[in-house]
Amino acid sequence: MKYLLKRLAFYFMAFIGAFSLNFFLPRLMPGDPVQMRLGELARQGGKVDPATIEAIEKMFGINRNEPLIVTYFRNFIDILKGDWGISFTNNLYPVTEVIKRPLGWTVFLCGTALIISFIINTALGIFVAWRRGSVLDTTLTVGGQIISNIPAVIIALTLSYTLAYNGFFPKGYAVTPLLYAKGFEYVKDVAYHAFLPVTAIVLGSLGGIMGMRANMINQLGEDYIVMGIAKGVPDKKIMFKYCARNALLPVVTSFAMQVGFLLGGQLLIENIFNYPGLGKLMIQAINGRDYPLMQGILLMTTILMLTTNFIADISVFLLDPRIRRQSGE
Amino acid sequence: MGAVLEVENLYVDYITENGHIRAVDNVSFVIEEGKSLGLAGESGCGKSTIAYSLMRLHRPPALITSGKIIIDGKDILSLSENELQKFRWKKISMVFQSAMNCLNPVVTLEKQFFELYKIHGITKSRKEAKKLAEELLKIVGIPPERLKDYPHQLSGGMRQRAVIAMALALKPKLLILDEPTTALDTVVQRDILQKIYELKEKLNFSVLFITHDISLMMEFCDTVAIMYAGKIVEQAPSMKILKNPHHPYSYGLKNSFPSLQGEVKYMEGIPGSPLDLKCIPKGCRFQDRCFKATKICFEKEPEISLLDEGFFFCHNPL
Amino acid sequence: MVKKFSNSKIINFIKDSPKTVAGLILISIVLVLTLGAKLFTPYEPMQTFDGLWRAAPSAEHILGTTQAGKDVWTQTLYGGRVSILVGIFAGSIAVLLSLIVGITAGYFGGIVDNIITTIINIIMVIPQTVLLLIIASMVGRISPLAIGLIIGVTSWPWGARIYRAQTMSLRNREFIKSAETLGESKIRTLFVEIMPNMLSMITSGFIGTLIYAIMAQSFIEFIGFGDRMSVTWGQMLNNAQSTGALSSGVWWEILGPSAFLILFGSGLTLVNFSIDELSNPKLRAQRIMRKYYKEKKAQEKLLRKQAAVTTSNKGGIN
Repeated sequence: MKYLLKRLAFYFMAFIGAFSLNFFLPRLMPGDPVQMRLGELARQGGKVDPATIEAIEKMFGINRNEPLIVTYFRNFIDILKGDWGISFTNNLYPVTEVIKRPLGWTVFLCGTALIISFIINTALGIFVAWRRGSVLDTTLTVGGQIISNIPAVIIALTLSYTLAYNGFFPKGYAVTPLLYAKGFEYVKDVAYHAFLPVTAIVLGSLGGIMGMRANMINQLGEDYIVMGIAKGVPDKKIMFKYCARNALLPVVTSFAMQVGFLLGGQLLIENIFNYPGLGKLMIQAINGRDYPLMQGILLMTTILMLTTNFIADISVFLLDPRIRRQSGE
Repeated sequence: MGAVLEVENLYVDYITENGHIRAVDNVSFVIEEGKSLGLAGESGCGKSTIAYSLMRLHRPPALITSGKIIIDGKDILSLSENELQKFRWKKISMVFQSAMNCLNPVVTLEKQFFELYKIHGITKSRKEAKKLAEELLKIVGIPPERLKDYPHQLSGGMRQRAVIAMALALKPKLLILDEPTTALDTVVQRDILQKIYELKEKLNFSVLFITHDISLMMEFCDTVAIMYAGKIVEQAPSMKILKNPHHPYSYGLKNSFPSLQGEVKYMEGIPGSPLDLKCIPKGCRFQDRCFKATKICFEKEPEISLLDEGFFFCHNPL
Repeated sequence: MVKKFSNSKIINFIKDSPKTVAGLILISIVLVLTLGAKLFTPYEPMQTFDGLWRAAPSAEHILGTTQAGKDVWTQTLYGGRVSILVGIFAGSIAVLLSLIVGITAGYFGGIVDNIITTIINIIMVIPQTVLLLIIASMVGRISPLAIGLIIGVTSWPWGARIYRAQTMSLRNREFIKSAETLGESKIRTLFVEIMPNMLSMITSGFIGTLIYAIMAQSFIEFIGFGDRMSVTWGQMLNNAQSTGALSSGVWWEILGPSAFLILFGSGLTLVNFSIDELSNPKLRAQRIMRKYYKEKKAQEKLLRKQAAVTTSNKGGIN
């Protein structure tokens, strides 16, 4: 328990860190967002008077009358309360509202890809470590690494071009527009649309095979494996119950860390496949200089990262009796 | 009284990029039923390699290249993997060097015993397995409620005793002890060895005791075999080797261990360092470090000289 | 019997390893083509060919032309220079930063280490690519060099962790302690003693970061934050995508930069593997393993034949 609490404390600190970054970054960058917004308004033919300026500043959470540190804390409390500002590229809806739906799609896509990728990488890692030195080992390891090192752009574009434009798979969107389907039909449609993006992400993560393989090989050198063999435990059982079971632990942790990278690639993939997730929203926000929305998405992705990490921590806690013991259970 | 273990002309090599390194070079010995043989020598002389060969536990790049290992009548080098699995632990089991690392850290003791019984067809019932395990633990002196603990929750001495209990679970004919007490302090050492000795007398199994601690070995074993650079240089009953060593190396080893009793003597030790197996010289392997080396030692390998209860390989024995 | 051992040099290693050879060839091809672009194409990258918009590959234009009428092959070659340069630039910055941070944390330990580690952990939890995008957007459309700078400055945490761990393990080794005892200043020790030992890790880290930098760069440009007037691989892809190349079936505009990115990335990955193998002998086990399995099979066959002969000789008597 103490272990988990310590991790939670860390995550909270990280959250504060992300928020601070969010807060200070636009203030450090060249250009004043308020001025830029005013400029755009002017171009669009709107009125520019003190009232408008004040309204915009309020939207941004800026208050020139108070010291910065007060703004900092005020914004922080607002965030905790759930007030993440207003998105002005989205009809002035609150940011929290705007993020909801895309968040769902992104979590779905990313989550599915993560699980599939984890299963494939782990399975292949175990298999390859057991047949260490064989041609299959080299091919899968090196091949996997090469594929994952190809810029995600290309993987996605290639997939899109070869499979989507030939009509096998849809070119974009999460579901077929205007399709009023329910239940299983709906699920099928979603899966159909998610296939290519998920494949792209999974291909991009094939480098993870090496991680599991390395862990397996490390474990294979340990004494308890030899003892297991000496006890007459059949090979398959050694591979899974002894080796893999122990090799899994560090993999889970490092996997969670890779999520950050994954989320980044997610942006790209959503872009190419026109998937209505946070990625697409982000581009929209950036193009429209919608700072509150941008910051909202950054914060949300950070929360996703932290949540995934925390889930990984819980998993390790459950899987490894040594950690359970350390926290005095 | 037959032989429980017969090793004939065993060769074990390590395969490297640049060729083979011979870790065990034409080793032969016999262990009778109910007797114990001690295998002594410096680190890297091949004793653990031999132990691992007896159960064919070698990990790459070690490879048994030739020889016969006959346990309870069967040459295990001819067994297939399947037969080997059934054979291991039943006829011959091993207590590894560091009990710390040889138990699966994420499985409780109880489950580990259960697994053993299940695999070897002793019982499929958890309750029965638990009962059997508790009896074993009683024999080695561990309270039965420790069964539900994980390995890391036991103290060092207790862990070692648990491993010994596990090794005896299937009542093997031969028990290999690979440096069983190196990781323990002297008091616990004595305790455990005492226990093993008692068990040996009671259950009548043979023991192969591997260590570099000669004094310990002399007390525990009936026969002692001294190894150097992959070869057995002398084998004799322990009392005889202690009083009357033939090979200069045996003599040197004997004199390197102070005894707890008796007068304070000047310790001699053996000059030089263990042979690098990558460059084996012509003639006797001990030539560089031997105080009795003569010209012939640098030219010809010594032949076997038989004693009434043992043998040795030396041109100029003591 | 035991074979002789020869000195293996780096050149021998390279010859033996198909991975290294393949990797080096790929990298060389890309480097030669891009750096020597003038030799491989008669055109200029910004040269427009009137009337030849979106023209399919032909004899005069091996990879066809873009929507703006520019030769794809030429753009790919010249663009490559920028992309690779930016990658190296970003990679260098990142490695430098991560070295400084990592080694400082590892060497000085204590509070310094704690603070730095916490900062690293916090930064690592914030999705870097998202951060990258935001910074890029706030700065507006930027030149490739600026992109490189931003990538370099945001990707150091990964490496820092690794260098910190390595420094900490090296720090406790004897030769460092002796240097400190002799009175070498801490900074001098850092540079003269510790860094050279991490050379292979630094090289491998640099290549890894290079791969990442090129990937990130193409990513940012593809999304649309690069300088539209610049010619780089990522920008070419962006141009292609935003003008709907895919949907019009204009595959050649994408092929150029994609193919080169794949070739270069793969080459770097292969070389990275080789460096790992070169510096970590344990990984060289691959080849030994293959050798080992071959020998093992042969041995097992031999031993089984031997056993069959023995049993038939003995007439089935155990």
